[in-house]
Amino acid sequence: MADSPKGTKFVGDGIVIFHDVAGAMKGEKAVRAAGYEVKLVSPPPQLRMGCDLALEINLVEEQGIERLFQEKEVPFVQVLPLTKGASVLCEVIKVTDFGRWYMVKAGNMKLSFEKETGLVVNVSGGGCPDIPYLNAEMVDKTLSQTPQPRDIGYTLCATMLQRAYEEAVRLFEGGSLS
Amino acid sequence: MMILFGTLPYNDFPLTFGQVSREGDYLKADGREFSRTQGTGAMISAALAIATHFKEEPPYVLVAGDIGGGNGTRDIYQYLTERVGELAPDFIAMHYSLPIMALMRKFIEAVQRCEKRPFLIADAGAMYAAKGAGLSGEFDIFTPDPSEMAFLADPQATHPAYIAKHLFECDASLVPQQIAEAFRSGSAAKLLLVKGKTDYVAQGGEILHAVNEPDVPHLEPIGGTGDTITGLVSGLVYAGLAPKDAAVFACRTNRTAGKLAEPNPATKVKEIIDQFPRVAKEYYCSWSGVCYMDDK
Repeated sequence: MADSPKGTKFVGDGIVIFHDVAGAMKGEKAVRAAGYEVKLVSPPPQLRMGCDLALEINLVEEQGIERLFQEKEVPFVQVLPLTKGASVLCEVIKVTDFGRWYMVKAGNMKLSFEKETGLVVNVSGGGCPDIPYLNAEMVDKTLSQTPQPRDIGYTLCATMLQRAYEEAVRLFEGGSLS
Repeated sequence: MMILFGTLPYNDFPLTFGQVSREGDYLKADGREFSRTQGTGAMISAALAIATHFKEEPPYVLVAGDIGGGNGTRDIYQYLTERVGELAPDFIAMHYSLPIMALMRKFIEAVQRCEKRPFLIADAGAMYAAKGAGLSGEFDIFTPDPSEMAFLADPQATHPAYIAKHLFECDASLVPQQIAEAFRSGSAAKLLLVKGKTDYVAQGGEILHAVNEPDVPHLEPIGGTGDTITGLVSGLVYAGLAPKDAAVFACRTNRTAGKLAEPNPATKVKEIIDQFPRVAKEYYCSWSGVCYMDDK
């Protein structure tokens, strides 16, 4: 096992298929916390449902990951060998400086917050039903108070918003603009 | 009849179908109140403002609560698929919903059996489902933002978060090229209204209009300002404008309302929505040359 914070260079040879995006996000959280190197990917086309998400893994670690999912009660469909490359989740993050505020954009999602207080002032982008819900739950709370998209979201839009949230936290904690 | 279709960000809001009205800071249909901001609520608010300006019949809404699990999405698709022939709407705008391609296929099959085909607009999850199911050509208007435009330009993509690596940058200068590619690959509706720093209106693979003014950069962070464009173009088509003219008017209306609201990144979309009646009243006459007289 080796840790790779964003998993961008990791290439696995196996894939875990989940019932839904929420399961995949929970699975990623569990395996990353346990130190596995993984990345979120698009499942094979015949298994896609539109907002589906899968986890690319080292197939040799299948048993340990399956056990971990059972311990953490992460439901999944099956683990398959990956015979050809899967699409990679868009990891490009852009930050726009609006003076008193930053807008962080990850893929199709944007999160804006006040630099001094960390107050989330707007969430925009995306088209899945959890995004207006996440907006209602996150806006007008600080980055430390707000629930995280991966804890209450369900879809790939929430996955991208989580990326934006993590970058916002990094900036608020003094990280530099990359 | 115009039907505005989409999910609402509540866990337990039941399926609701009825004519919509504004009640203070809320929208109301069939006795139930819901938020007029964000997502489907913002889209409905914009369409209602335009319908009110032109003294059209208030739109019908078909909504249900869904926070991402897909329950409300299934309910509204099932309702409309079963009744679209009987309701015979002239116009349907489809918005936030879980992109479930099988539901979209069944809905379009039902539309194809209708005696009179409704005018169809899609944005958000409904647009993802239509594109993913290979049914873009069944729609009259899509209203993507630049990242969704990159998704439409990628023939393999089923969600904007997964696009070919060369499209990752979402470079705004590539939008015209992506518009051409989406039309070439059959992933575009008959008309595309691409909302961004520059708004593009394209038909048949050709960009007809690029709208840059007024330039209000602070609109981008405000959640719901893309949703309002979808509502505006819906209301304007329903009021009788040609789709390409409605698209240009929608862009100019949103931008002008943004300018009047003097926004910053913390502004909420309802402050923009509240400017739409003023924009329609003060600007539509000069933009169109066709002036509307209020009843005395």
